[in-house]
Amino acid sequence: MDKKIIRNDRVGEKYYCINHPSGLTVLVWEMDNYSTTHALFGTKYGSINTKFKTDEDADYVSVPEGIAHYLEHKLFENEDCDVFSLYAKTGASANAYTSFDKTCYLFSCTDNYEESLRILLDFVQEPYFTKETVEKEQGIIGQEIRMYEDDPNWRVFFNMLMGVYHNHPVRIDIAGTVESIAKIDADLLYRCYNTFYNLNNMYLSIAGNVDVDKVIEICDEMLKSCKNHNLETVFEDEPETVFEKETVQNLEVATPLFNIGFKAKSEKGKAGLKADIETNIVLALLADDSSPLYKKMFDKGIINSNFGTEVFSGDGFFCSIFGGESRNPHEVLSEIIAEIERVKVEGFDEERFEIIKKSYYGSQIRGFNNVESVATLMINSYMSDVIPFDTVEIIAEITLEDIHKRLFSQFNTDNYTISIINPIK
Amino acid sequence: MSITFNKESLYNGIDFFSIVDKRFKTNLISIWLIDRLSEENASSNALSMSFISKSSKKYPDMTLLNKKLSSLYGANLSGTTSKVGDNQFMMLGVSCISDKYALNSEKLTLESTDILMDCLLEPNVENGGFSEKLFAPIKQELLDDIDAIINDKRNYALMKTSKIAMKGEPSAIRSCGEREYAEKVNAVSAYEKYIELLKTSEIKVFFVGSESPDEVKNKIKERFSVIDRNFKDKSSSEFSPAKPEPVYETEILDVVQSKMVMSFKCNDRNSHAVRLMTAIFGATPFSKLFVNVREKMSLCYYCAARYDEIKGILNVDSGVEQENIEKARKEILNQLESMKRGEFTDEEMNNSLLSLVNSAKSINDSAASLASWYLKQDVIGTNYSPEEEIEHLKAVTREDIIKAASSLTLDTVYVLTKKGDE
Repeated sequence: MDKKIIRNDRVGEKYYCINHPSGLTVLVWEMDNYSTTHALFGTKYGSINTKFKTDEDADYVSVPEGIAHYLEHKLFENEDCDVFSLYAKTGASANAYTSFDKTCYLFSCTDNYEESLRILLDFVQEPYFTKETVEKEQGIIGQEIRMYEDDPNWRVFFNMLMGVYHNHPVRIDIAGTVESIAKIDADLLYRCYNTFYNLNNMYLSIAGNVDVDKVIEICDEMLKSCKNHNLETVFEDEPETVFEKETVQNLEVATPLFNIGFKAKSEKGKAGLKADIETNIVLALLADDSSPLYKKMFDKGIINSNFGTEVFSGDGFFCSIFGGESRNPHEVLSEIIAEIERVKVEGFDEERFEIIKKSYYGSQIRGFNNVESVATLMINSYMSDVIPFDTVEIIAEITLEDIHKRLFSQFNTDNYTISIINPIK
Repeated sequence: MSITFNKESLYNGIDFFSIVDKRFKTNLISIWLIDRLSEENASSNALSMSFISKSSKKYPDMTLLNKKLSSLYGANLSGTTSKVGDNQFMMLGVSCISDKYALNSEKLTLESTDILMDCLLEPNVENGGFSEKLFAPIKQELLDDIDAIINDKRNYALMKTSKIAMKGEPSAIRSCGEREYAEKVNAVSAYEKYIELLKTSEIKVFFVGSESPDEVKNKIKERFSVIDRNFKDKSSSEFSPAKPEPVYETEILDVVQSKMVMSFKCNDRNSHAVRLMTAIFGATPFSKLFVNVREKMSLCYYCAARYDEIKGILNVDSGVEQENIEKARKEILNQLESMKRGEFTDEEMNNSLLSLVNSAKSINDSAASLASWYLKQDVIGTNYSPEEEIEHLKAVTREDIIKAASSLTLDTVYVLTKKGDE
């Protein structure tokens, strides 16, 4: 078996990467003296992967939205019991989540991680659903979708994505729509399960109070080998420009909420990570709480402390987002655009760049403090074709010139969508 | 693993708590000021906390303060206001990476402590009040926050329920206060109240980190010595009494999904038994409420029980379709009756215990969780470590659980829903 130690001298940390013969990539980070163990078993399969092909398919197959999330719900049910009742015996706290590009099953525990790991590896490899159980789930997921319809922070974000994207499935709610989930049946679920839950498309990440050889032993015992069927996923062509510049909805809120997204091209692997990090630094320079823009807008009373920025990126999508509450979202938009244009001409403040870079480095060090963030960092990195230490290395090398280039490549001030949620009355 | 916990009195109502563990890569220093919740002062206190977390005399606005903090490898300074029982807890805290990670051997921890004490003791003041220029947007923000509770319907429903359930008690007041009182606060009145708070309130200082707390402790002690302390009373809270008859209230809003909160009052002082009972009843994904009301009967998207051991209140909150509200209410009561009759297995009891043990042990791995753990211990008048807590939980018997369930009385049922179709 191929068991590599990956070290980083800059931060003095190490982990193991094992290419298990079953096809699974196993990542183990032993953290001495910690009580907890955090494990994630995940597939590179999220809500956006609705068009795919493997060796068994003649051509690309398209499926309704919401299957990845539906599968996550159904895998928690075994033939004879519910997965939570299995974990109940070990004391572990278990959960699962589906995002745009991944589905992860996880547990966190302080004792007996070996048994919890067996449960995790077992149930994710053992799908069980029937016509009846699939139909019943439609009601539960329908309620979940409706619950989010009342959540203005969720709505303001998705309305923005629907404005930014013409075709990319990132514009659709992760759970799908009430209409799309009505089309889901047991056959479709098995079909997608067999396509995406192939161990060659999956990762196990475990950190904290854990022993690498014990983890390998349990993997040997529990994993069923998978033949690599060369999975490919594709998306419809997506124009470079946004679909619509403004979207407005009325909901029960006190103050209007807004999200402003600037659309840009996405990149993959290490180039993608570099784009994310550099854009985060651009956003901090432009609008963090020590920036001139923030102060100006705060003093004018058009933003409050809820104002923030985010890079939202993944396979085929990239968006820089400014969001918060404001009585005048359009004025916020004008201020942001004016600041981007000003900086394009005058450049960024070098001293602030150095401070932000240092602070970014500090935040990475903090992450190594926490069992859960270490396990999550490993699986997220490998699913994006990078390794956990790439971030600190990239930060250390970044120059002000890189940041200026990034400002021009990611911030076209004509290519944005503003999404607003107004109060009902 | 070796965690050293220590508590000592600095002087006159100021206690210093230290939790030291070599594993931590960061140091966390937080200062808690405690005041009795009152409509008159709640908003003023919340405003002062927000103000002093954004500026000081030395760094008079957010830009300058944040720039300084960023230069300390992204030290993080924040102020929060929360409600603990009948009291309002104002926290100002700073966290920074340990000195050993600084690239040029900077004294990050002491420098961060100084900034923290600057903000706390030397605020940005002019003309006998907080600086008006910064105060005005902060006040607007607090008013926005008071109104913004409506954005999150689950929390809104819980807040409305606690107002009805604890009517007339200090704990019915929101930690950010109420709009009509918040509007009246100005930069001078807030500052005057804040100075009084520094002089008279109970203060708790926490250090959680990997290094010896002595330098930080001495620094804080020295800085506090300029305050002419006139400490009055220690904070305390009372169990909330049950109403003679439950109160039912329905509110209509334009929502897709309805929310229902059922509030029960408890008079059993064995908090370990009540916590284990709550876990079996509705606080885990294998609890009675989750398995029966959510999974088997599909009545709610979420349905969970939570116990507030300071006020002796157990809330069951649920997200439910309008047509299922009545069915869900009955079923939740049914499940509670079955708890009272002792209809739970040894396995359910043992699994719920394991889940509580797991949470208690996990506390040791996070600096912030350790600080809130020991703060809460102090509030309820004990000093148990998470390990000691586990021993108490293990000692709970089946009879204790039945007794705890039987001590619950339904007090309030609050429903948030849309206009009916009829």
